[in-house]
Amino acid sequence: MDLTSFTQYVLSGLVIGVIYALMAVSITFVHGMMKIVNWSMGEFYMIGCFVQYLLVTRFVGPDLWVLGIPVAFCLVFLFGMGIQRYLLRPMFMGEAERLDEYATIITITLMVLFRNLAIIIGGPYQYSVPDYFPPTDLGPLPISGNRFMALVGTVLILGVFYFVMKKTWAGRALQGMSQNRIGIQTAGINVRRLDEIAFGIGVGLAAAAGALLAPVFLVWAESGSVPTMKGFEIIVIGGLGSIPGSIIAALLLGLIESLGSVYISSVYRDLFGFVFLILILVFRPNGLFGERERLA
Amino acid sequence: MTLLWGLGMNKSRRQFFMTIGVLAVIAALLPLELGEFYVHVVAIGFFYVMLAVSWNLLAGYAGQLSLAHHAFAAVGGYGSALLLQYGSEALKIDIPLWICIPFGAFVAGLVGYGLGSVCLNMRRIYLAVTTWAFAESFRLWVISEYEITRGDLGLSTELIFDTSDPTPFYYVFLAGTIFCLWVVFEIIRSPAGFYLRALRDDEEAAQAMGVDTVRWKRFAFTVSSAMAGFAGTLQAHYIGLLTPTPIKFNEMAIILIMVIAGGLRSFWGPALGAMFIQVVSEALRDYSEYRMVLFAVMVIIIMRVYREGLFGMLRDGMAKLPSLSASGST
Repeated sequence: MDLTSFTQYVLSGLVIGVIYALMAVSITFVHGMMKIVNWSMGEFYMIGCFVQYLLVTRFVGPDLWVLGIPVAFCLVFLFGMGIQRYLLRPMFMGEAERLDEYATIITITLMVLFRNLAIIIGGPYQYSVPDYFPPTDLGPLPISGNRFMALVGTVLILGVFYFVMKKTWAGRALQGMSQNRIGIQTAGINVRRLDEIAFGIGVGLAAAAGALLAPVFLVWAESGSVPTMKGFEIIVIGGLGSIPGSIIAALLLGLIESLGSVYISSVYRDLFGFVFLILILVFRPNGLFGERERLA
Repeated sequence: MTLLWGLGMNKSRRQFFMTIGVLAVIAALLPLELGEFYVHVVAIGFFYVMLAVSWNLLAGYAGQLSLAHHAFAAVGGYGSALLLQYGSEALKIDIPLWICIPFGAFVAGLVGYGLGSVCLNMRRIYLAVTTWAFAESFRLWVISEYEITRGDLGLSTELIFDTSDPTPFYYVFLAGTIFCLWVVFEIIRSPAGFYLRALRDDEEAAQAMGVDTVRWKRFAFTVSSAMAGFAGTLQAHYIGLLTPTPIKFNEMAIILIMVIAGGLRSFWGPALGAMFIQVVSEALRDYSEYRMVLFAVMVIIIMRVYREGLFGMLRDGMAKLPSLSASGST
């Protein structure tokens, strides 16, 4: 095995890792803020894919594909706020016996709902979005233009996300909420309102990922299931609620899948992540960068 | 009457046996009225009743919201079918089905014990994610080890009865369902049932009161997985073909919808919900996606408005007719 091809494998693994990262960040963000796991995250990704497909093929044309990402983000942001307000908020109002159980049931049901609605609207067909960008080279690695754009786009979106979280008032409030939901109420922050914003941002990021990755993977009713699978693996490996952890874990997972399928067997490609995940859970139950869960 | 039932039977147990006896007689007479297709539908409905009731034991009573129940059904099915195929080859005898079916259930129980042990220290979200990861890895394993399991092509296996008429299978499923309901009922009534509920409501408090939480968590996982595996083996030897498709997460979502629709944490609720969803969804077969949307909306409404589910509605309706008030739940 020579050095060039090894570098190529490493690079392609890292590219895949970056592509996974956005989805993982969106899942872990919602968990960090609201202490729930959103099982329907892949369906918001799928909505993002469809928004992008409709925009590119029906409305603005393939040249303005960049528009699809903010449009998908904004639409799904508003939609997510509505869902949080009318379906998930009751769990914080003392109506549900156990928050996590209520949230799991509601979000799994939403997954079934959206998936089947998508089949009703879009049919069981797989759509493909026209290419964003011609093939190009990344160092020694020839890469498809779509993947290259997904890489650049993810880095940009994560950069904006980082900026919002660190520099704006809402971002700081959200950081506070992830540390202590009761504590920030004493600082006069409306937690209910912030929950809506947090959930909206979380699902919006998933939709942005969907819009960005629409040409890399196919667009159809179940296009959310693979990103959700990878996303969950990543957030558990990185530690639930830790955003840097999930980015690092995404890169690690990409590397493991890429190198594992070359050096062990490509048949097991999708299994590596799960084996890694179970090992992590056995030896480091809180993930690589997770903090110990506090008992309320 | 008191004398007759006085042999170690208290009121709730008597009520249980009377209810299940009436239901069993009705169910046993049904194939005379129903066409062949609906006999098949109701038989599969019994399969889901077994899954729903055992999942309710784990998630509803013990509070361990596992998302791997559909995988345990498949573990049982594959366990039995693989023993039948490879065990018979290795030993050069035909292993009879009455060994294979308990073996499948046993394997599922064993795997459930293992998964329960891995999850001992995991709370809530970690538990859900870990069990989900187990189910997905099992599915991927079945697909990738196609030399053993025949992957997506499907592993064909022997039928219990050598006929295409669903009626004899119907009675096997009915008997299996009655057995599962009885086991769950006895567990819930026994001290074990109270330990499980204590575990669900407050693990620390239960521990402080001297409940061996480790032991009872494993117990809940093992029993409910074995039951799911049992249902899975019956289904495998009824359909005659095992594929990885039922290990998809959609199947777990269906079990969850059935249990919630019927009423989580009630004894009869999940059984009612499973049968209701199965029969309605077969009746609406022509509108395949619309029916799932309908069920999802129904579950959301139940979660938001009336947590007791269909069984709760039925019970409240019955309570208005005092003489017929239905039997207990928690």
